[in-house]
Amino acid sequence: MSEGRPALRIRDLVVRYGRAAPVICGVSVELDPKEIVGLIGASAAGKSTLLRAIQRLVEPESGRIFLYGLELTRLPRAELRGARRRLGMIFQEHALIERLTVMENVLAGTLGRTGFWRSVRRRFEPEDVEEAFDLLERVGLTGLEDSRCDELSGGQKQRVGIARALIQHPDVLLVDEPTASLDPATSVRIMDLITEICSERGLAAIINLHDVPLARRFCPRIIGLQDGGVVFDGPPSALDDAVLQRVYGDEAISTQADATADGETVGH
Amino acid sequence: MIESAVHRGVILGGLALYGLLVLVTVEIDPARIAEGLSRTGAFFVGWLRPDFVTRWTDIRAGLLESLAMTAVATAAALLLSVPLGLGAARNLVPGPVYTTARGVLAVARAFHEILVAILFVAMFGFGPFAGVVTLVLGSVGFLGKLLAEAVEEVDPAPLEALTTAGASWGSRVVFGVLPQVMPRVMGLVLYRLDINFRESAVIGLVGAGGIGATLTTAVSRYEFESVSAILILIIGMVFGAEVIAGRLRQRLL
Repeated sequence: MSEGRPALRIRDLVVRYGRAAPVICGVSVELDPKEIVGLIGASAAGKSTLLRAIQRLVEPESGRIFLYGLELTRLPRAELRGARRRLGMIFQEHALIERLTVMENVLAGTLGRTGFWRSVRRRFEPEDVEEAFDLLERVGLTGLEDSRCDELSGGQKQRVGIARALIQHPDVLLVDEPTASLDPATSVRIMDLITEICSERGLAAIINLHDVPLARRFCPRIIGLQDGGVVFDGPPSALDDAVLQRVYGDEAISTQADATADGETVGH
Repeated sequence: MIESAVHRGVILGGLALYGLLVLVTVEIDPARIAEGLSRTGAFFVGWLRPDFVTRWTDIRAGLLESLAMTAVATAAALLLSVPLGLGAARNLVPGPVYTTARGVLAVARAFHEILVAILFVAMFGFGPFAGVVTLVLGSVGFLGKLLAEAVEEVDPAPLEALTTAGASWGSRVVFGVLPQVMPRVMGLVLYRLDINFRESAVIGLVGAGGIGATLTTAVSRYEFESVSAILILIIGMVFGAEVIAGRLRQRLL
């Protein structure tokens, strides 16, 4: 991690699935180290696709992506695995392996540096196991190490997902709708945890959020995506009704109304 | 239904002629019918008086051989079908591997066990080895195909999460796929164990060893009491297997 360079630099990114119209058309964004960006936009605006393209789960059609100066878009497959470890991803529906224990799910985050046979025999490095215990304590799951993940609540599962991303030792967190399946109070606690951890560890993060008040409250910088293009980039204070209208189109009014009705997320 | 009287006449006449020809062609021998009826009687009488004792040594050897064939064949088939099943899952492997593995599985399932058993008996001679090979082939086709389908249905999200953690293909399979398909695989193996036992009785009829061989011998000697005993034992063992499988399933899942 070299200081001075942007944590993440995306230039003229274009992504499309098959022959359909591009989902991301010419996005350019820079993320400073330790910067937390909230990405908002309607459901088909391309928020998830943008994160997936950074991880190269979808191959961009054109454009370049740099992680602390390392060009991800040019990396050969073999080196990509190593680079992916530096991008910790937290998923909308946790994406945990339900039938494995909390501990196994967290340790799954070390698979990028654990050999195949060690993983088969569940012989993880002692320092990884120790770190997993520490991380579980940090996310508030002490005592649940041996529970199977299908026994946990939605919020607890998301905490396991956070621990799994952190044990990768990422430089940047990519967070895709972390609160989508959670109730408002739990959503706030999870956002609290994610942003606290980012500042503790000096991580930059892109957080996709469908909930505008939540983005306002937790993200010092907000980017609005509409039809695969950036239509807003600025602090929450600049996010007025006109901007929301531009980001969400006709959806804007109802989104705001829903969010305010939650009560839990109003106090920004 | 048929309105024209002429058509009706032609059709009825044709049917009558056909029936006559059939009667003439099939040799109906009253003597053989009488003999068969008396044997049917003997069969039912034998069925009511199962004799476990007279041929017990043969029956015991046949049953043990069938059990051994079943166990060996199912275990070998499981080992072979895991790589084939993973290779035949579209979400895990590139196109050529997929096509090859699917092809192998299709060939393994192409012929009925009896046909395969006849071929293997011709190749390896009479006895349980031909039977085991037959059962392995059939079980690989069965387990491999169903395993591949189970793998294709796994939740892709955890797999993607492992990819983003930088996990290798092998680790993704071990952590992301196997835990998701394990209950299904357990169920399939237990079910196949059951099928293989019954199947081992059938392929014995064409000389591939096991309790089926004992059964054929008893039938050809007209020892219906022993036949009855063997059939009762097969039913009992299949039933017992069902109970044990049920218990195991509860314990494992």
